[in-house]
Amino acid sequence: MDIDPPAQVKVIFTTKEPDLLLPESKQQLLVPADVKRYGLSRILNSESMLNTSAPIPLDFIANGTFLSTSISEHLAAEGLSHETTITLEYARSLVPPVYEASFEHDDWVSAVDVLSPSAPVAAGADADERVASASYDGLVRVWDRSGNLVAVSPPSVASQYRKRLDTMKWLSPKQLVSAGLEERITVWDYDKTDDGSVGSLKPRLELWGHDKRIHSLAVNASTGRMLSSSEDGRLGLWSWSKQKAPPADPECFAFTHFSKKGQIAAPKSAQRGPLAMVKLNDDSPISAATFHHKDPTVAYWTSGDGTVRTIDLTTAKEVSRLATQHQFSCLAALPNSLVAAAGRLDNIVLLDPRESTATTTAMTLKGHVNWVSSLCPSPENDYSLVSGSWDSTCRVWDLRRVDSDPSTGSGRRAIKPAYTIKRQWLEGKKLPEAGDGAKVLSVVWDKTWGIVSGGEDKKVQVNRGRNLLS
Amino acid sequence: MAPPRPSRKRKESVGSVESDYGLEGAVLDGVLSDSGDESGAESEVGSAGFDDPNVDDEEHSSDADSVSDAGDLSDKPNYKVVKDADGNERYEYAEIDPVYDSDDSDAREQTNTIGNIPLSFYDSYPHIGYDINGRKVMRPATGEALDALLDSIELPKGWTGLTDPETGKPLNLSQDELELLRRIQMGEAPEDGYDPYPEMVPYFTGIEEKMPLSAAPEPKRRFLPSKHEAKRIAKLVRAIKEGKIQPYKSPEEREKEEEEVEETYYDIWANEEPQERHIMHVPAPKLAPPGYDMSYNPPPEYLPTDEERKGWEQTDPEEREKEYLPAQYDALRKVPGYGNFVKERFERCLDLYLAPRVRKNRLNIDPNSLLPKLPRPDELKPFPTHCRTVFHGREGRVRTVAFSPYGNWVASGGDDGTVGVWDPNGNLAWSARLSTEEPVNVIRWRPNKDTFILAAAAGEELFFVIPPLCDIKTLEASREILDAGFGYAANGAHATTAVNGFKQDRPAKWGRPGSKLEASGVLLKATVRAPIKMLSWHRRGDFLCTVSPTGQKSSVAIHTLSKHLSQIPFRRLPGLPQAAHFHPTRPFFFVATQRLIRCYDLQRQELVKSLQPGARWISGFDVHPGGDNLIVGSYDRRLLWHDMDLSSRPYKTMRFHSEAIRAVKYHRSLPLFADASDDGTVQVFHGRVVSDLMESATIVPVKMLKGHKVVSKLGVMDVDWHPSHPWCLSAGADGTCRLWA
Repeated sequence: MDIDPPAQVKVIFTTKEPDLLLPESKQQLLVPADVKRYGLSRILNSESMLNTSAPIPLDFIANGTFLSTSISEHLAAEGLSHETTITLEYARSLVPPVYEASFEHDDWVSAVDVLSPSAPVAAGADADERVASASYDGLVRVWDRSGNLVAVSPPSVASQYRKRLDTMKWLSPKQLVSAGLEERITVWDYDKTDDGSVGSLKPRLELWGHDKRIHSLAVNASTGRMLSSSEDGRLGLWSWSKQKAPPADPECFAFTHFSKKGQIAAPKSAQRGPLAMVKLNDDSPISAATFHHKDPTVAYWTSGDGTVRTIDLTTAKEVSRLATQHQFSCLAALPNSLVAAAGRLDNIVLLDPRESTATTTAMTLKGHVNWVSSLCPSPENDYSLVSGSWDSTCRVWDLRRVDSDPSTGSGRRAIKPAYTIKRQWLEGKKLPEAGDGAKVLSVVWDKTWGIVSGGEDKKVQVNRGRNLLS
Repeated sequence: MAPPRPSRKRKESVGSVESDYGLEGAVLDGVLSDSGDESGAESEVGSAGFDDPNVDDEEHSSDADSVSDAGDLSDKPNYKVVKDADGNERYEYAEIDPVYDSDDSDAREQTNTIGNIPLSFYDSYPHIGYDINGRKVMRPATGEALDALLDSIELPKGWTGLTDPETGKPLNLSQDELELLRRIQMGEAPEDGYDPYPEMVPYFTGIEEKMPLSAAPEPKRRFLPSKHEAKRIAKLVRAIKEGKIQPYKSPEEREKEEEEVEETYYDIWANEEPQERHIMHVPAPKLAPPGYDMSYNPPPEYLPTDEERKGWEQTDPEEREKEYLPAQYDALRKVPGYGNFVKERFERCLDLYLAPRVRKNRLNIDPNSLLPKLPRPDELKPFPTHCRTVFHGREGRVRTVAFSPYGNWVASGGDDGTVGVWDPNGNLAWSARLSTEEPVNVIRWRPNKDTFILAAAAGEELFFVIPPLCDIKTLEASREILDAGFGYAANGAHATTAVNGFKQDRPAKWGRPGSKLEASGVLLKATVRAPIKMLSWHRRGDFLCTVSPTGQKSSVAIHTLSKHLSQIPFRRLPGLPQAAHFHPTRPFFFVATQRLIRCYDLQRQELVKSLQPGARWISGFDVHPGGDNLIVGSYDRRLLWHDMDLSSRPYKTMRFHSEAIRAVKYHRSLPLFADASDDGTVQVFHGRVVSDLMESATIVPVKMLKGHKVVSKLGVMDVDWHPSHPWCLSAGADGTCRLWA
């Protein structure tokens, strides 16, 4: 042992992350006892150890707790001598979702979606980093990373009051889809110039088939299929290629154009109909649909009556049904074959749609103080998700952090949020009553972009989303 | 003086020595026995004559001793003659041996002769004084400090700790001396055995003296019997005869006799009648203790000012607050008598006598047990608890709100004369200004789900609006409904007037509202005679009734939408109508006037029922979807539940608001109802109606929704329920609507 004043401690480094594993010979090390987390992280990132190209901030777990003091203080607190060998487990340290940027709009932002190389719609291909937003003024906007408005859709042909958009998705790096109060779904072509700084949005297709307002869209880019759920109680399955989509039922739009009495100019874009329409309900004031996260032939659909139905898309039949007490407005299929559902209740409910399970509600995510409007699973791992709520916050949930909730008994498990993202302009203030003026209407989590949310404050807010959870 | 006398004696004796020498032998013996003094002198003389100056002192003394022991006189003198400093003779006597008979028994050994001076004067000398012979009395050796300590530890007997001033030795006292001291201290006679109080022997005793002091003969009275004694004896004899004086008996004897006497008892409660358990004694109320102002010298603040004094003097004695005026006196003895004392005492007695004092029985009941047993609100979920959305953007009060038939839109109307339709998330999707002057008093959606028609009343005009937010098919269907009556109205109105023969104006004029309003979705307008305050749809959506309280004869009107026809069902109503509703299932029609609610059968055209809520001014009412129950809100803060099967009186009256109730509303499918009040709150109640006739409805207040501000004494103006969910909508005078869930 060294007897110099900076005493040294023998440390064994372990990790559970295989890409950060040290060679066997380097796992034991003598480190100064007064070194703290940052020093340990620097030691591990040094050339002789991990030799990382960019330093990875690391956290250290000693004896089951995160190391927040120096090693000697830790030893003193544990009542150990400096001669003991301590085992330090290291992991990538977590950074809270820091605010990065916000993009101003003219009206409420009802939907946001991101395009990036890591987004599922890019399908591995190289893609620009873009954020598209749909607003209540009826326009779809595309933004680049630095907050420049790249493209705006032409003004809607619908009437002043019906042009409002409720949902919008990227279909591919070149295509967008949007829907709203009107019965049709519009597919947009996103063209960009070579440098990508300026682009344009042109309507490419109009998809007709729903009778009423469309609440949500779900896109499976790999199979080229799209789901829509509408107020008329029907689930639509669509293709957005002109060739594959069947022609539209002429009654649908002919009736519309006739009745509008020239308010709408003759449609410039082609019209197509649905691949399939599943009538599930007579009417549902709110509804949502999503694909199974792996199987594109399975869809989940929920409506205002509180049921979550599993639908086989090949046969267009309902397979199973989960009845709950709540009214859901958004669904997210998680990789662990659970479905997160939220809506007109404060909690997010994790449902197990498999028929074999005894209990339908697997977990309850408690923390929001107003209705939840949007859900998005994490792109990085299969145990976290983000939710946007009318209480003006987005919350990040770690499904592994299960608190035993004494109030609900043994069966139910409740989870508290890992992070709460406030609107940037409300930072440091109290949450407004009932989320007044700052309701979050849509939130998306992407690997490259982070957490992108938009809402009543007419802003799209970007928060850092990498490595939020260990 | 002592030395000269002996010397003279000796001279005399010297002179007679020679003469006496011849008389030696028996003669001398007799002389000696007669007087000792002379013999002594003789012997001295004799011995002096034969004194040998050379003889040693001690030899002499021993000789003398032996002589005296022998008992015969020796002629040896017991002194020596020495020459003093002047050359004179000096007799030096031998030391007296203090034997028992010695006169000199008091003489002490080695007495200090320094007299009464402090011993401390000799502190610096080795001696402490002189004895009788002038020799120094040496200071006794004082022991070492350790010895003194040892002495102090082992106290010798009789140790006092004092130093004898004469000898300088520690003064020890013997037990006898201590006893003597104690006696002196106690004030007793110091000597033991002395009796200071011996028994007195009187001079005159019963002993007959031989020589009596008086020689008088015995008096006569000593021989005559005493009259006084005879009197006393006669008295005693009389007492004995009367039995007052009993002969003596020993206690045992007396006890025996007493036992023999039979005991007699009296039942004093034999004729007792049962009485009340308690004597109802109520103590008189105590008089209040005197205050500062009753003092004879009160603090100056208690003294009346001149005005008060004047006022007191001027008021009637019976109306005075106090019966006295505080007055100040220098001393208590200057206080005059209180003139009203007797009067006050008398009145007090009169009060106590006349005022009945009754003991009140206190009810010993737990107040909680009187409360009805209601289910806990948690068990009655769901009901709205939190504000979910605040709808901003209106100027002035919002007077009315309504959920669309599906519940996915919210309509509101207010003082600014506009009607707005909102998304539940608070986004104003559509609005239209119906009137620039008149506020929109009431809006109601047509209850049919296949249309999207909103009826709004602003002033005297009734508008039918299709907000352009619905889908095309619904829009078309709604347009058809509204337009259907146009052709009919032209013909039908003509026909009715012709048939009835009335020449009066039609109750309402139907028509288009103008192109500007038409473009924004307001498609039909009906103008009635008086401002409409309330409207209500029939469940089928073809009829609606409007109430305009100031409209006198035409205050209640029933409009038929499909015919664009307005009818006035009542020619005359007792009182001002406040609200009207259709029965949800049967062809009944409810009309509320200020005090009463009447139910009419529209088909038979007769009064079915009259309800008396007991409120002074009904503000509104609502009919339960089942049709048998009513809730009534009143401006006098009461919420009343009527069960029409039970009675015309309210089943339950609730007074939970501090201000007037503006609106009441039943949920259409859930057992909930709510009321809106001017105190800025909405109260949500759980009211379950059971089909069983034997069971009455359970009404539980579950939630008070607070959030609206009170603006110029107006709080919440209207309340509406979502058609299917437990969500509630309230319109506030603060210009906002709120969605509660």
